[in-house]
Amino acid sequence: MNSQENALPRDGGTGMPDVAVRVSGVSKIYSLGQQNVQRRFTDVLAGILLPRFLRADRDRRSAEAALDRENWIYALNGIDLKIMRGEVVGIIGPNGAGKSTLLKILTRITPPTAGRIDIHGRVGALLEVGSGFHPELTGRENVLLNGMMIGMTRATVRERMDEIVSFAQVEKFIDTPVKWYSSGMFMRLAFSVAAHLDAEIMLVDEVLAVGDIGFQQKCLQRIRQIASDGRTVLFVSHNMDSIRRFCDWVAVIQDGAVTWSGDVESCIRYYEEVCRDQYDEEGPAEL
Amino acid sequence: MGHLQKTLHTVIVPTASRYSWDELFQARELLYAFVLRSWKVRYKQTVIGAAWAIIQPVALMVVFSVFFGLLMRVPSGDLPYPVFVYCGLLVWQFFAKALADTSNSVVSNSAIVTKIYFPRLLLPVSAAVAALPELLFSFVALAGLMLYYQIVPGWEMLLVPLFVAVALVVAFGVGAMLGAVYVLYRDIAQLLPFLTQLWMFMTPIIYPASLVPEAFRWLYQLNPMVLVVEGARWAFAGSPPPNQTTVILGLAMSVVFLYIGIRIFQNLEPYFSETI
Repeated sequence: MNSQENALPRDGGTGMPDVAVRVSGVSKIYSLGQQNVQRRFTDVLAGILLPRFLRADRDRRSAEAALDRENWIYALNGIDLKIMRGEVVGIIGPNGAGKSTLLKILTRITPPTAGRIDIHGRVGALLEVGSGFHPELTGRENVLLNGMMIGMTRATVRERMDEIVSFAQVEKFIDTPVKWYSSGMFMRLAFSVAAHLDAEIMLVDEVLAVGDIGFQQKCLQRIRQIASDGRTVLFVSHNMDSIRRFCDWVAVIQDGAVTWSGDVESCIRYYEEVCRDQYDEEGPAEL
Repeated sequence: MGHLQKTLHTVIVPTASRYSWDELFQARELLYAFVLRSWKVRYKQTVIGAAWAIIQPVALMVVFSVFFGLLMRVPSGDLPYPVFVYCGLLVWQFFAKALADTSNSVVSNSAIVTKIYFPRLLLPVSAAVAALPELLFSFVALAGLMLYYQIVPGWEMLLVPLFVAVALVVAFGVGAMLGAVYVLYRDIAQLLPFLTQLWMFMTPIIYPASLVPEAFRWLYQLNPMVLVVEGARWAFAGSPPPNQTTVILGLAMSVVFLYIGIRIFQNLEPYFSETI
């Protein structure tokens, strides 16, 4: 069952067989405990500030601590993926399998512990939105600033401003500070900015389809649009209907590794089995 | 997206990666975004807004003039004490503001740091740059003061930006260092006001550098803010210019601060999002 072979490359009919994303043997190890986070940080500081003879002792202790496997948590354990340009790839897996960690590494928010990733093209993320919003600023100001933070140019944001605002349905309030927005308005505007980013490779987390049913439908439509205009998309979702609808192929991630990949239907069957097993083991008793 | 262009190739590996050219190019826009944001936010929900930038140094100038100038008779060369002290306060206040904002820049943006990737160095850079407008405001009061005492600035005035630049570099270097360390050690929050105050007393703002004994002068001149304050005072009001040692040591130390600051910041940068 531990079939870690690369997924069959299918170019999705775009006729462009180049690799867009290649993930080779990527692992992410977290060491348990606050001390380990602190040690790594202070090691870097000591490396710069202290002369060698003063830090020899602490270097040795750090090396020992780093080798103490008891504390290791493999968030990712040797992930291999090859995604061709134009492919829409679904990433599915149970909670805590490492999907978010993989996305965080792909967006360079956090570095991997081992392995290498090659990305050909500009990456845009539709993962967590609204974090760059400042409550005191108006909707319009936030759109401009947040758009630039996630990688649009000033000119692009200005050009798409009307589109972004009307997508979020906040026309009337766009010159009001966002601290006075309802949470729905806030989320809609935040999603709308990120959804209008035009990157060659998009990382999309479907959890982001937010708001009431009407807006959710709009979000999904937008995601479908992103998925269908020839861009490379990594699509994380718990919704098998969306996976069926959008994806060329799927990778199932479990305990930090790709345990199954390839054809959409077979992956979904495999994943559903995994989940069923999991709940058969520990399910009803705990519920 | 139909046209052909060279696609960006990014390599992600465990070691701290250097910024690519493409990123730095893109970073100009982001720098603009960060600076704009802090300007827009700064005086929200205040009544007198930017006037604070004038009131603070002017109030300090009045208090210092009364106690140190009038009562203690601290020497101020050929200059009236208020002009003497205000020239120093002006650049010092700017430096202190830039230093504080730069040191805070990473932690105060933790929401962005944990969610969005960008060259993190932009945070201290934009914080330092964003402190500049207040300096311009405080020039207004200086102009009034010089008018009152009928001091006419000479060509040296053109060199003011040079000394401001040194202050900016030092604030950025030290601030980037403290800002990176602040991510793990919240002690910085306690240390910073205290450090700023100590530093102010080690800078010839309320007293002239000539009061420092000759034997310790070189040690004193290692503080690049000596160069900044003496330089600004010379450029604005024509007091004696900073001597050669002050200039050389001051410039050298500001480069040292800049180097150490960037180095520490860049080495700790990959761990920000996990540690913060």
